[in-house]
Amino acid sequence: MSQDVTHMRTAVKLAKYALDHSETPVACIFVHAKLNKVIAYGMNGTNVSISGISHAEFMGVKQIQDKYGTDPSIFSEIVLYVTVEPCIMCASALKQLGIKKVVFGCGNERFGGNGSILSIQNDTSTVRSNKFVSVPGILRKEAIMLLRYFYVRENDRAPKPRTKKNRKLDRETFPPLQWDKYLSHEEFLEEFGKEHENSFSLNQDVYDSIEWDLIDSNYGDDFMVDLQKEIELTETALKNI
Amino acid sequence: MVKKHQNPTKIDFIHGIVEDCLWQIRDTKNVDIPDLVEAWSIDVRPKESKSVIPFVRSIQDEDPVSFIHVKRIKKLNNDTLRVLISSKKYIPDRTSFDDLLAGVDFQYDNIKCDNKVPRMGPSTKKLMVEWSEKFWPLVWRGNPNDQILNDYVFDVQEIRSTLTQIAEESRKIQGSSTEQLPIVSAFVYPNIGKVIFSKDYRHNRSPLDHSIMVGINQVATEEQGRRDRVQNGTASEEEKSQKETYLCLDFDVYTTHEPCSMCSMALIHSRVKRCIFVNPMPVSGSLKPDSGDSYCMHSNRDLNSKYEVFQWVGDNLQVPDIDSALCC
Repeated sequence: MSQDVTHMRTAVKLAKYALDHSETPVACIFVHAKLNKVIAYGMNGTNVSISGISHAEFMGVKQIQDKYGTDPSIFSEIVLYVTVEPCIMCASALKQLGIKKVVFGCGNERFGGNGSILSIQNDTSTVRSNKFVSVPGILRKEAIMLLRYFYVRENDRAPKPRTKKNRKLDRETFPPLQWDKYLSHEEFLEEFGKEHENSFSLNQDVYDSIEWDLIDSNYGDDFMVDLQKEIELTETALKNI
Repeated sequence: MVKKHQNPTKIDFIHGIVEDCLWQIRDTKNVDIPDLVEAWSIDVRPKESKSVIPFVRSIQDEDPVSFIHVKRIKKLNNDTLRVLISSKKYIPDRTSFDDLLAGVDFQYDNIKCDNKVPRMGPSTKKLMVEWSEKFWPLVWRGNPNDQILNDYVFDVQEIRSTLTQIAEESRKIQGSSTEQLPIVSAFVYPNIGKVIFSKDYRHNRSPLDHSIMVGINQVATEEQGRRDRVQNGTASEEEKSQKETYLCLDFDVYTTHEPCSMCSMALIHSRVKRCIFVNPMPVSGSLKPDSGDSYCMHSNRDLNSKYEVFQWVGDNLQVPDIDSALCC
């Protein structure tokens, strides 16, 4: 679990980087499970590519395919860390590729494909034999806050700001996390351990505090350079196996 | 909008079949399960109704939820009428409600915000009566789907011709010696009638290069190219005069095989207007209520984005069959 938080921090930083570059603050990293190292990253690119399907997950998948070829077997070793639950399209794509596991921050109430709207990860119509566990709630409040930062900014830019209420940034209240939409009780215990069992039934976060520093810092080009370096090291390590 | 009996299109309203060849695909398993929305009401004296009704009319167009199938006034007793004011989607909280009603010229009391009203009427009169008692009085205007079907616009000649082209293309792939899957789609631009054809490339590219994903990306690439040429002055007059293509907004998409969960959702993100497929995919399909996990992606209530879907049930276009579990 602490490993999950470490990786999710990288995804959150990347999402903040996207926000600071006027993109939607949703980002992801793909981690090679055995090496425990980042193998690719993705940010939402729907503005740049003018296509509605250039989601962060697809950018990361393309990075992996460009380096390692299109044989999907490598994905069985890969865990995705994404700040917001994958949409139905992405959840389906990840399942078709046979991803090992998906870890996310907050749910996607409009389009979520790993529990919020549909549960593609264990359906029968999307390559039945590929199943994966999807784990919500890792740096959830941080992911929600980044989205709120984005909406407040968007509203400020709108020619006719909607209401005063929308402009006020809520830093206090967060919706409950309904764990059983995403995970069975057993899966929850396996991921978080018996000591957090209460959170499951109370629909509460496992982590109560918010890492404000993480989302209020700015990440510049040096952050991206470091991320690229890690990805290159992963490539070298994989070639030597 | 034409009256049902004046519509020149031949429609079998019972089975949802247009011109004997296009079968309307929708979430038939759930149509008669009420989709309830919460709404505000006030209580007034009968004499106030002549002031209340104009007020309701003046705001109803702003409401994202349509209540044309609903009786606005419910008689509680001889002395009291309950009036449906708006959905909670439109008026989220009490402060906004008070703002809306500030300065009205009628007396009211007993503001209620938890009325449950079906978003759409049911398919039969019998159910309408049941729902009216259980929830809120409704008006019977016939099966609401009849009007939906009646309002659709079809160019059957065009549809048949496009489907024939993609079917032919898919047979060609089948007959060739490549490993390519015989799945073909066509993306038809609104108004200008331009068509882009796309094929499945998972045999030599990404496993995610299904014909629909390829087509969506192709539309974006072409639009980017056009914008670049307009910017650097190398665009043709025709390209310059073209309206900007936003995603695949209002496109008609034709495809040989019923799309999978990824592709059917990609069509929502791309804002297409209509999808017509030929061969159903009983295991991997995501549009028909009987396919796969019954997702009915295009008419799923929890996804409030929608597109029209039809299955071709006219003359056999001889689209090659493929493994029913394969995602298309």
